[in-house]
Amino acid sequence: MNHDNLVFSSTRSFLSLRHFLTQEDKIAFLFLAPSLIMLLAFMFYPIFYVFVMAVFKTNRVGEMVRFVGLENFRLIFQSEEFMATVVRTIVWTLIAVFAKAVSGLGIALILKQRFPGRKLARALVILPWAASIPISVMVWKWAFNNDFGLLNYTLRALGLNPPIWLAYPVPAFFATLSVDIWLGIPFMALVFLAGLQAIPKDLFEAAAVEGATAWQQFRHVTLPSLKPILLIATLLSFLWTFNDFNVIYILTKGGPLGKTEILITLIYRTAFEYTDFSSAGAIAIITFIVLLFVSLIYARFYFKTEYR
Amino acid sequence: MYAPVLKKTLLYSLLLIALTLLLFPFGVMLSTALKSLREVYAPNPHWIPEILQFRNFVEIFSKIPLVQFFLNSLIIASGTTIFCVALSIPAAYATARLRFRGRKFLLYLFLTIQMFSPVVIVISLFKIVAGLGLLDSFVSLIVVNTVFTLAFTIWMMNGYFRTIPLEIEEAAMIDGCSRFQALRKVMLPIAVPGITTVVIYCFTTAWNEFMFAMTFINSFEKRPITVGLFDFVGRWSVDWHYLMAASILATLPVMVLFLFIEKQLVEGLAAGAVKG
Repeated sequence: MNHDNLVFSSTRSFLSLRHFLTQEDKIAFLFLAPSLIMLLAFMFYPIFYVFVMAVFKTNRVGEMVRFVGLENFRLIFQSEEFMATVVRTIVWTLIAVFAKAVSGLGIALILKQRFPGRKLARALVILPWAASIPISVMVWKWAFNNDFGLLNYTLRALGLNPPIWLAYPVPAFFATLSVDIWLGIPFMALVFLAGLQAIPKDLFEAAAVEGATAWQQFRHVTLPSLKPILLIATLLSFLWTFNDFNVIYILTKGGPLGKTEILITLIYRTAFEYTDFSSAGAIAIITFIVLLFVSLIYARFYFKTEYR
Repeated sequence: MYAPVLKKTLLYSLLLIALTLLLFPFGVMLSTALKSLREVYAPNPHWIPEILQFRNFVEIFSKIPLVQFFLNSLIIASGTTIFCVALSIPAAYATARLRFRGRKFLLYLFLTIQMFSPVVIVISLFKIVAGLGLLDSFVSLIVVNTVFTLAFTIWMMNGYFRTIPLEIEEAAMIDGCSRFQALRKVMLPIAVPGITTVVIYCFTTAWNEFMFAMTFINSFEKRPITVGLFDFVGRWSVDWHYLMAASILATLPVMVLFLFIEKQLVEGLAAGAVKG
């Protein structure tokens, strides 16, 4: 039970595992073993496997033919398409996360007010998150249809002149971006709403007594109190946005002319459409390192707020 | 008297704009699902169909093998749920209640991998699944979906177990229960709300999964609903009214389920930051 004692006593019987492991260690191991085996076999081993694939030349069915070291990475970094995709992924992710955070905060501030129909409004705001993502994106694809879709019909009725969304690079980029933002808003709004409701009321009352305007209250009470949640929600949103395979694959498959491709879809298409598993492996490793880095920051920060 | 009215008007108009944008595709879904083919491809589309074609919801069953797709999704989602819950309950109990070496490291690990992108390893998983002879099988999807929901469900259950007072369990053990009996007879009944959350989370996640199913399943008759419908989107002329009717049927049940757990999900993902 006691870890401090255990460390001392274990130095004596270090080789005897039977004494080294406490009763609780053994039960814990037994309880955790099934989960850990699954994770080892179907998550950690595949990660290792991708690393191996990335340093081999593979043939068209994905068999490893010859060790090439970092050659695959060298080729990737020389490819203009890859570098353009890296830049696009960063821009795409940053714009989307920013837009989600701002609109999420706005909606949370509205939902925090007391008004009739507030509960219903809250339930309706959740719906994009609650619905099946692939199916929602298919509905968007139909809505974007230039001739028969209801989006351009409505925009034209409002006197606007909308583009043919999915046919040209720039409109397609913004179309995929908008759908991704649409998907991410509910989580942001809910998280911020929970955060707003956790701010003690006397903080606002004290500010009001001091004669603070609504803006000053927001700036000096609301925002500082929301800081931890802002950080954690932004990190999560970054991971989700960066990983958003469904929106781009279903709407455009990275097209037209690869102009809506992000790293995640590029990995998939490089492997399963161009059957170039070596390059796909190398891109996957680069993506993996970025994701691991952000995940670690998230985990660290989560621990800090949970156990403070 | 004047300012509050102005404030209310502003509030409602902003809310109205936000809701219009957020609910837009659901409007598209409903409107199209109730149109006739002629109206779907009318040069000037309208929001309200001339005659509401409720029979679309009956006709789709003969146009699309919807029952088959639903059944496949049901098998995959139920299998994932059972597997995932069975694995995560003991694992979460261990991390919540037992003091063992490496505990903190494991919690950290689960937290780090919970947002892990499946696409990063789909290329090697594809080869592993093929090597095991499991391509084109439900088992492959159940296993892979389980692995990708497991870290988060362990984390959620761990959080729930920790809210149960230690004294309850200790009392049971003083009364002569073993640790296993205490878990089974005392902890699990109390943890039912937490388990329900995890069950719904696993089920909806597996039901909505798309990328693995598209990669691992070849046979048309083994497709889950997400991939089954996507297949129709890719065709030259799409019967959008049928597709939208099918989408409503496919998304409504999981949407309702999801509304039950949304609060716990938000807390599970943002933890201390939300509780303030």
